[in-house]
Amino acid sequence: MLTELLDRARLLVVTGKGGTGKTTVAGALATAAARRGRRTLVVEVEGRQGLAALFGRPPLGHQETRVADGVMGLAVDPEESLREYLGRYGAAPLARLLSWARLTRFITAAAPGLGDILLVGKVWEATTRRRPRQGARFYDLVVLDAPPTGRIVPFLRAPETVAELARVGPIRHQAERVRELLDDPELTRMVLVCLPEELPVTETLEGASLLRAARLPLGPVVVNRVSADHLGDRGGRLAALAREPGPLAEAATQAGAELDTRALAVLVGEARDQRRRVEAERRMLRELRAGLAGLPVVELPLLLDGVTGAAEVATLAERLTADGPTGRADPAPA
Amino acid sequence: MTPARARKARGRAGSEVAGGSRLDEVVRTARIVVCCGSGGVGKTSTAAALAVRAAEQGRRTCVLTIDPARRLAQALGLDLLSNSPSPVSKGLRGPGSLDAMMLDMRRTFDELIERYARDQQQADRILANRFYQRVSSTLAGTQEYMAMEKLYELHESRRWELLVVDTPPTRSALDFLDAPDNLNELLDARMFRLLIAPAQRIGRGYLRGLNLATSAMARMVRRLTGSELLAEVGEFFAAFEGMYEGFRSRAQHVYDLLKDPGTQFVVVATPDAPALREAAFLAGRLAADRMPLGALVVNRVHQAGPVPEVPPEVVAKLAAGSDDARLLADLLTQHQTLEALAAAEQRRVRELTASVPSLPTVQVPLLADDVHDLPGLRRLGAQLFA
Repeated sequence: MLTELLDRARLLVVTGKGGTGKTTVAGALATAAARRGRRTLVVEVEGRQGLAALFGRPPLGHQETRVADGVMGLAVDPEESLREYLGRYGAAPLARLLSWARLTRFITAAAPGLGDILLVGKVWEATTRRRPRQGARFYDLVVLDAPPTGRIVPFLRAPETVAELARVGPIRHQAERVRELLDDPELTRMVLVCLPEELPVTETLEGASLLRAARLPLGPVVVNRVSADHLGDRGGRLAALAREPGPLAEAATQAGAELDTRALAVLVGEARDQRRRVEAERRMLRELRAGLAGLPVVELPLLLDGVTGAAEVATLAERLTADGPTGRADPAPA
Repeated sequence: MTPARARKARGRAGSEVAGGSRLDEVVRTARIVVCCGSGGVGKTSTAAALAVRAAEQGRRTCVLTIDPARRLAQALGLDLLSNSPSPVSKGLRGPGSLDAMMLDMRRTFDELIERYARDQQQADRILANRFYQRVSSTLAGTQEYMAMEKLYELHESRRWELLVVDTPPTRSALDFLDAPDNLNELLDARMFRLLIAPAQRIGRGYLRGLNLATSAMARMVRRLTGSELLAEVGEFFAAFEGMYEGFRSRAQHVYDLLKDPGTQFVVVATPDAPALREAAFLAGRLAADRMPLGALVVNRVHQAGPVPEVPPEVVAKLAAGSDDARLLADLLTQHQTLEALAAAEQRRVRELTASVPSLPTVQVPLLADDVHDLPGLRRLGAQLFA
């Protein structure tokens, strides 16, 4: 399902609780799509330069720049967009009187959500942009590193919220076109990023129902940083060895490993801690799957060194497309 | 993980200043503790653990949380509907007391309007205004600002010796430092009043330029959004008339309160690169604003116990042996993975502590279980104050 999504979708909106790794997953999705031959743009909108840090590049600007093979990156700066936008509507003389900084603050306060409208508008523009001559699409896929779950619906719906208040004018017109893109499950999917822990699972389930209620098309949920399980079904044996480590000591001696009782106790203790963690994660994953009612879930492993470079992002990109996720996407409405 | 092992791990990180005793001092002496850090780093649990410790040592303590996990909220006996502190009675030991509350941002704003409006009519006009309804729930920074208003209210009541505050999990966890300025900017909007005022009210010469500008701005906003929105905005500011001063002076009080040496900031992170980057940013921002930075807490640190190195060929031999030998080989591999992970984390933490000299640092090992009750908070506390 994920490969199909990467091959067909035009816009992936990546959201999730803070700290779950939205930027990492957005980068990995973009890289995976690029490796499948799609011209891909990954966009961040919160001004934190997370993509630059992720791909190990200098800070991204308002210009689209290559961040990895086949992947362009863009950091949309809200203030810069507003300035551009106001400029188009003849605000330059005002800006000379008041300074751009004050002007943008006032406008933002007078029309709350205008900042979000401009950010969403930029994403819409990049997704629908065509090459001047042959009219072919400029990008096959845009991946948006979006605001967190708590803010995602007001963010994506900002154009029409303001459009409700503003009955006329360019904002109204644009809001309709943005909605057409966002609401179409053939073009757009929301990707929720989660961790196998209590709070993120709760917030993911809440986020999924908020997005559903807003009629935004849900895609897969990516569970990030899942601990590896090296033990399989040997938990019981491990418990026995914790009480009576004799057989382990024997195995060590036979193989010539210099491990005393204390070292063996450390090894068994660590394995049992890990085991409890893996079991707790599994419980959370079960709760997540049950609550998601059939949405596909993709797991990504905890990477040792963190994810700080195109190479690690590529590793995760491979994992994203390696094993098929379980479940199905929300069916496209007829 | 035993405390002895945790201390050992801390000892390994060379340039760090041990933070346990510093945190102890903080909860014994501070009047306000502000926990900040990026989302998902365990801020709420850390704030709650600090509060439990202070209460059990005898202080009248209140913890103000923003978004607690359901089970932690239950453990603290949080009444999610009251928007005011209620006592945590079950299971608390020692002579002090602990109250807890969760911030309802919208409600706090509504209550402020109710409390500071001239009369009920003014309050009703503001509460019914569509622009207010949007500003009070969606404008970036409102949550941060409301947390600070609530903090001020609790502080002014003088019911507690220590207030522990958990900050909102937003991108810029320190936006509340700018909240007074932003709010002043918004409410000090002579500009807004000019925007809606009839031109004849602006008689004074120095305002003439502004008047020109604002009517041009009014035209522009109208062109962008139609006139209805503008009318709502105008009504909001008209309705707000007379309340600006109070908001402004409270915002300034909060700012001064945060700068007071009786306040201590605790920056919370995990050993992930993004969380540590955010922590470095926060520490820098606090220093720039001369805010008292108490300590850095790094939660969920992986630690490997002492195991002698086993050469790869021996591990290979084990892997080819009996069931128990294979199990031992897997245990060794898992241990090596853990060691590598722990080393990478220590490297990242050292990079941060090197960039913020003499910052007392506490590392809390990854606990095998979620913290969701008082005993869990006490276990977390044992690590924090070790």
